[in-house]
Order: sequence, then structure tokens, then C-alpha cells
Amino acid sequence: MRVLLAEDDPLLGDGLRAGLRQLGFLVDWVRDGEAAERELRAESYAAAVLDLGLPLKDGLEVLASIRRAGVTLPVLVLTARDAIPDRVRGLDVGADDYVVKPVDLNELAARLRALVRRAHGQPHERLCVQDVTLDPAARSVAQAGVPVPLSAREFDLLHALMLNAGRVLSREQLEQHLYSWGQEVESNAIEVHVHHLRRKLGNALIQTVRGVGYVLARDLPTSS
Amino acid sequence: MKLPRSLQGRLLVLVLGLVVGAWLVTAALTWIDVRHELDELLDSHLAQAAALLVVQQTGEIEDDHRVDAPTLHRYAPKVAFQVFHEGRLALRSSNAPAEPMLGFEGRVADGFKTVEIGGTTWRVFATRGRERDVQVFVGEQVESRNSILWAVLRSSLGPMLFAVPLLALAAWWAVRQGVAPLRLLGRALAHRSPDALQPIAVNGAPSEMAPMLEALNGLFRRISDLLESERRFTADAAHELRTPIAGIRAQAQVALGATADAERSRALQATLQGCDRATRLIEQLLTLARLESGEEHALVAVDLSALARQVVAEVAPQALSKQQVIEVIAGNPCTVQGDATLLSVLVRNLVDNAIRYSPAGATVKIGVSSEQGAVRLSVEDSGPGMSEADMKRVGERFFRVIGSGQDGSGLGWSIARRIAAVHRAVLRVAKSDLLGGLSVEVRFLDEEVA
Repeated sequence: MRVLLAEDDPLLGDGLRAGLRQLGFLVDWVRDGEAAERELRAESYAAAVLDLGLPLKDGLEVLASIRRAGVTLPVLVLTARDAIPDRVRGLDVGADDYVVKPVDLNELAARLRALVRRAHGQPHERLCVQDVTLDPAARSVAQAGVPVPLSAREFDLLHALMLNAGRVLSREQLEQHLYSWGQEVESNAIEVHVHHLRRKLGNALIQTVRGVGYVLARDLPTSS
Repeated sequence: MKLPRSLQGRLLVLVLGLVVGAWLVTAALTWIDVRHELDELLDSHLAQAAALLVVQQTGEIEDDHRVDAPTLHRYAPKVAFQVFHEGRLALRSSNAPAEPMLGFEGRVADGFKTVEIGGTTWRVFATRGRERDVQVFVGEQVESRNSILWAVLRSSLGPMLFAVPLLALAAWWAVRQGVAPLRLLGRALAHRSPDALQPIAVNGAPSEMAPMLEALNGLFRRISDLLESERRFTADAAHELRTPIAGIRAQAQVALGATADAERSRALQATLQGCDRATRLIEQLLTLARLESGEEHALVAVDLSALARQVVAEVAPQALSKQQVIEVIAGNPCTVQGDATLLSVLVRNLVDNAIRYSPAGATVKIGVSSEQGAVRLSVEDSGPGMSEADMKRVGERFFRVIGSGQDGSGLGWSIARRIAAVHRAVLRVAKSDLLGGLSVEVRFLDEEVA
């Protein structure tokens, strides 16, 4: 899951990036409000962690501005401002969650997963499509109750497809889910990962829409 | 006499004391006046009676003729008369003694006299008859006069005796009503919670209380300002401490979750760095809190030149590690009245800022000079300087220049400004004409000159 981190404090930003990476997130880190707004408008992230006291442009202004521009991704505001009016304003402007520093990394990760899940209309912690179950917290996948070992990229790809089950995702969209900045994307990486997933989970699960992308059919949902 | 401490008691004692005093004076004056009038009246009656007796002495005078004068009035027994002829008692009332009321051997007494006869005090009028050897005495018991006097006083002043307790009660009630606003204020103040600092309404309060209420409201205002600044400080401090602590926590968690040694050691290094930063921040906050508490600082003569050289010697390694050129121009002793510890903090903050915000290879110049008795400390650098807008905001608590790449809290400036204020010195930030970067000047006003 690829998230944008907007935090101006070098130590905290570095810690959050490293910590979220350990927990399986792909993290892009920006240090000022203008960069945050530019990235959020341009790239597709699963979610964003936004500090409010950002240089150049305040976090709340960034939030208000991207919401006006129709960017709907879940935004978690992470801030030192803990007064109730600040929280209320943050949520009113368009934050999906409001967390006061300091925060536990595991909690932050869980909140981000929950935000992303709800943003995709998934009420349950585990995602189920057909007979495949995906647990984002444990980063584990099972098919018909049997655990299937996946690489990190394969997991992220499957996670993206399952979150958007029934919707076609283009190769570019999938690449954005899989790679953060500075990571080189091999030209046929997505095809390779899809190929591996099909080998592990069966050909029927992921369907190719020629010239467009890939889709996971919602059919045959099984209960977890 | 010591007055009671309570206003109500005080007023009551004074009012009642004055009323009773006035009453006693009135009684005394009445006593004197009535006695005078009574004496005049009764003396004239004695004289009248004596005149009647003298007139009667036209006929034969027998020796010791006791007249059983009928008691015509209950008062009559208190009046007696004697008539002497040729020194012998010729006529007397039944209640009169045989001896003359006044001794008159060899001479004839005349006029009024008060004498003691047989344990009773008499007022006696003596006069001569038409014949020279007739002596008439008419006496009246003084006791009877006194009883009349008392009766008059009783009837005229007696009601006052009953009035005094009633008056006391009325005065107590009136005084209580009068001081009621004070009692109400006391109760209102007593029931206030410590943080209720809204002013007390002055409208409607007695005019005597208005100055006190205004003074109280002024005090409330000052306390509330102080509390507000404390509150803001605490909020700012909490806000400012959260970020470094969040950083420390995140880095520590990264270290815990790290699988590679390099990753763990990097996170632990960052954790330590975060601790150092939080420590510095806390030290700055404490310094600022102490400065803002309004505590008095003992100011003594301090040689600012020596102090600047010493501080620069301590921070110079920091500059040298950035290949910066640091220079002190402070040859002559320049004495200011100040607190050496605070002045060190001031100089260190300014020099530290210049070093930190100037790039590698920059020049930092520290100067101490004396111009017309005013000592001037300047710190200039060849760094990037500051925008006009930023220069204006420097010194606001937690204001820091954005994008400086330094993790300062902006507290250093607040502290420098506060220390300058403690020394009644003026701190000015400007563009350095000499080096092109920032120039900070602290001008100490010489008290002897000023």
C-alpha cells in the first residue's frame, strides 16, 4: 500500500517512513505543504499522513485545497495540536482521521489500513474475493483456508486488486500502488507479478482486459 | 479604648457611644438648669413664707409658742419655721427644732444658707423682723428639693433610658444595612473559584467601594493576563515537545522492528539525536519560563568584552567544524550592569544562531564596543540572512524561519529578547552591511548617562 507522508520534522519523518516501511507500506515523504499538495494531486496514493504545521503551506490548507480539487483519498492528520477546536476543524476540512503526536507505529499502520479499507467500501478487516482471503494487518493470504506464501510485491498487487475488486486497474495504476519514488519499475514488472499470482492462486482469479488492465471478479465470494 | 476590628462593630460602638455621651451631657445640663430654677423658685417661696411670718409679728410675741400648723399638703412637714424674739424662741412649727436653725449669737443672720441639723440637710432663709430683735428662720429639707429634681429629671430624661437599648438595636440594624454591600462583596469573593477572574460589576456599588472594586478588578485583569500567558506558554510548550517525542518514539520503534543491524543502529542513533534535541528544547523552555516569571535579577557590573570572548571560545569548535571564520572584536573592557549567566546565554544564543544558520565557509563576527557610554554588542554573519517579514516576527515564541534546514525551535530568539529586556537593552535585527547576512545588535543603555 503506497502512502504519502507529509512531515517537516526530519527525525519524525525519517522514523515514520522507516517504521511504516517495516510494516509493509510504500512511503513517499515530502517535507512541506506545497510538495504535499502537488504529490496528492498528481499521484495515486492509497492514503496520506499529513502533519498540520507544514512549512510553505499549512496542512489544513493543503487538505482543503485537495478536497476542493476532488481528491478523495483517505487522509490521516498527524499533529501536535490537540485542542478540541483543532480536531473539529481538521475533521471538518476533510480529514478522515485525526491523530495526536506521539503515535504508536502499529496503531498508525492499523488506522491507515482501516481508512483504506473503508474508502473502498470494505467493512471487514480481511478482504475476501472468491475463495481468496487477504489479511492486510498480518500481510497473509489464504486460498480456501490454505495459506499461500507471496512476495511483498505480489501481496501489494493482490491487495490493490482485491480492494478494487470488480474494477479494472490499468498497468500504470498498479505500478503506482507498487512502487514508491526512486524505485525502478521494470517494464514488464506487473505482467511478471500477475503471472506469479496466477501460478500460485489459479488462472481464474485475475482476468486480463486487453489494452486496459487487470480485474479481479467479485463472483463467487466465499465467507472468511 | 480599642475599637472592634469589624466595621459593623466599630460603627455601632461609635454611634452608640456618641448617642449615650450626648444624652449624658444633656442630662447633666438639664440637672444644672433645673436645679438652678428649682432653687430660685423654692427659695422665693421660703422668702415669701418668711415675709408672711414677719408680717404676722405685729402682735404680742409669746415665748416658745409652738404652732401646730395644719398639714395642708403632704409637702408641709418638710418645711419648718422658727421665730425668735430677743434671742428667745417665740414661735416655731411643730417639726422645727428648739435650737435656732442658724446660730445668731451677737449678730443677726440674714439670707439663705444650707445647714446640717440633726442629720438632715436644710435650706434655711433667715431674716429680721420689723423690730430688730425679731429673727425669723424658714427652712426646707434639701432632700425634698432633690426629690423634686429627680422627679423632673426622671420624667424628662427617663424615657431616654428605655430609648437607648431600642436605639442600640436600631443602630445595629442600620449599620448592618449600611455595610451590607461589603458583606455581599465578601461573600461573592469567597465563593469565587480560583480561575474566575471576570471583573466585579462596579455599577450599583456604593461610591465608597468603587475605588476598591476598581483596584480589585485591575488585579484580576493582571492575574488573568498572567494566567493566560502561562496557559499559552504551556500549550505552546506541549505542542512543541510532542514532535521531538513522537520522533524519538517512532525511531525507537523502528529500531525494535529492524531486521538488519545497520537499520537498527541508524534508528538508535536517530533516537539519541532526538533525545538530545528534546533535552535542548526543555532547557530552553525552562530558561524562558524562568525569564518570563518576572523574577528579579541582581544586576552587577559585568565586562561584556571578556564574557563575549569566553562564550565564543566555547562555541568556536562548532564553527571551525563547518570551516567558518569566527572573529571577536572586543579589545577594551566594556562594562554593563547585568547578570553574567543570562548575558552568557544571550551571547551564546546569538552566536550559535549565526553559526547554525550560516553555510560552511561563512564568516561570523562578534563585536563589543562602547559609544558615548552605551555598550553595543553585535553579531554579524555572511549567511543567507532573513526576509523583512521574518525579521519582524523573530522573537515570537516558537517562530522559526521555514526552510532553514535547521531543527531549532525558535525559542533561542525569544530567550535573547527576554534577556535583553531584563537588562533594559534593545535588540535589533537587520541585514548586515558588513557581511551581507544577518546582523543582530544589542544596545545596552548606560544608566548613568540616561
